[in-house]
Amino acid sequence: MAVTGPPSPQTPTPTPTITPQETAPIGNPIFARIRIANSSDVPHLHKLMYQHAASQRLTHIFSATESSLSATLFNSPPFQSFTVFLLEVSPTPFPDGPVGCHPPITRIVNLDLLIVDPESKEFGSGGEAVVVGFVLFFPNYGLFSGMPGFYIEGLYVRECYRKKGFGKMLLSAVAAQAMKMGYGKLDWCVLGWNANAFGFYKKMGAQVFEELKMCRLTSDALQAYESFS
Amino acid sequence: MAAAAPPPPPTPTPIPPTTLPETGPVGNPIFARIRIANPSDVRPLHKLMYQLAVFERLPHLFSATESSLSSNLFNTPPFQSFTVFLLEVSPTPFLDAPVGAHPPITHVVNLDLPIADPESQEFGSGGDAVVAGFVLFFPNYSTFLGKPGFYIEDLYVRDCYRRKGFGKMLLSAVAAQAVKMGYGRVEWCVLDWNVNAIKFYEEMGAQVLQEWRICRLTGDALQAYGN
Repeated sequence: MAVTGPPSPQTPTPTPTITPQETAPIGNPIFARIRIANSSDVPHLHKLMYQHAASQRLTHIFSATESSLSATLFNSPPFQSFTVFLLEVSPTPFPDGPVGCHPPITRIVNLDLLIVDPESKEFGSGGEAVVVGFVLFFPNYGLFSGMPGFYIEGLYVRECYRKKGFGKMLLSAVAAQAMKMGYGKLDWCVLGWNANAFGFYKKMGAQVFEELKMCRLTSDALQAYESFS
Repeated sequence: MAAAAPPPPPTPTPIPPTTLPETGPVGNPIFARIRIANPSDVRPLHKLMYQLAVFERLPHLFSATESSLSSNLFNTPPFQSFTVFLLEVSPTPFLDAPVGAHPPITHVVNLDLPIADPESQEFGSGGDAVVAGFVLFFPNYSTFLGKPGFYIEDLYVRDCYRRKGFGKMLLSAVAAQAVKMGYGRVEWCVLDWNVNAIKFYEEMGAQVLQEWRICRLTGDALQAYGN
């Protein structure tokens, strides 16, 4: 996973000085909802994935299309294969949805200042809600435990929504799902030059395996194995 | 992934000096078969996994049981989740199996000398065949390619069968399956001090990605995040 600018803990709301009784709430509440993505979210998801690649300076290898996402991401029940949690925010509460197997997670975040979102139209997802980020994860396997875990492939929050705890919220949602399913671990990757991310992950108690390197067989080198059988 | 010391390419059979014509075959052929593991393979598979943990000097961390393998490894059709290719070898050809959706891959390897296998009884899998190794892999996803790939979690060949091309055979089988399914990548991990393994993987066409680090959240730290 490459997380852009890791989520820092939310800045605490400052204590107001004593004044005549205030009637307005402190700060600006924003309502957040994390839900499982479905095929109708593909256009937003595709844009987010492109932005994610751009943040890691990897757009030159970005070739995903809306069509490839639709074809590959929604073929299995949630959590049994590739799963996407989508994060939406709104200045007004989300209406209660039908309670299914996997009800969404909702939170209220109090902001000091309103967020100015230059892409609010592009990422509008109904009413006043906008899509703000995503996390894509899937089950992996552990030799030693003989049990599955989750691997987080991508976690991304749009730039104007960073440093407000949303990345942490997405990560926590995956961690909670892992715990719920009795899975023992969450794995992901980080770019070695992303010092901010490193610091954040170490602070949260993650191990970083300095000695392990990823190997990859792709493109022509992979195609060369077509005839092996 | 911890691979056992990866096999270098098999040494070519030396050309015999000019003599009277020989009537026997040169070398000792061994027949190899790679097939999808099934629940009845759990016992040898569990033993192989333990041997791999020992090879990695981490047997004290190994807590997988035959029961946990049975529960987790055979719940979905091949390649849609965790999949194990099992490598079996035999001095005699494998009988033709019924052709199913995923026919096994068979190869013949010519060895200079027959292999002495001290565990042949323990790993016997019918007739003269023994289980010699495995590869465990599962689908992963690339948001950049917008399509799945395979991630190889473990690849292991028993000690006496190393340096004969079997590790390469197992890896190639996964790569071939990825190509067949239109997948974009096959990935795995290597320890950066394992120069033999790195050389082997590079010779197979893999890139070693220097920039990425693997992170893990587990135990109390995971619990703290999940609450």
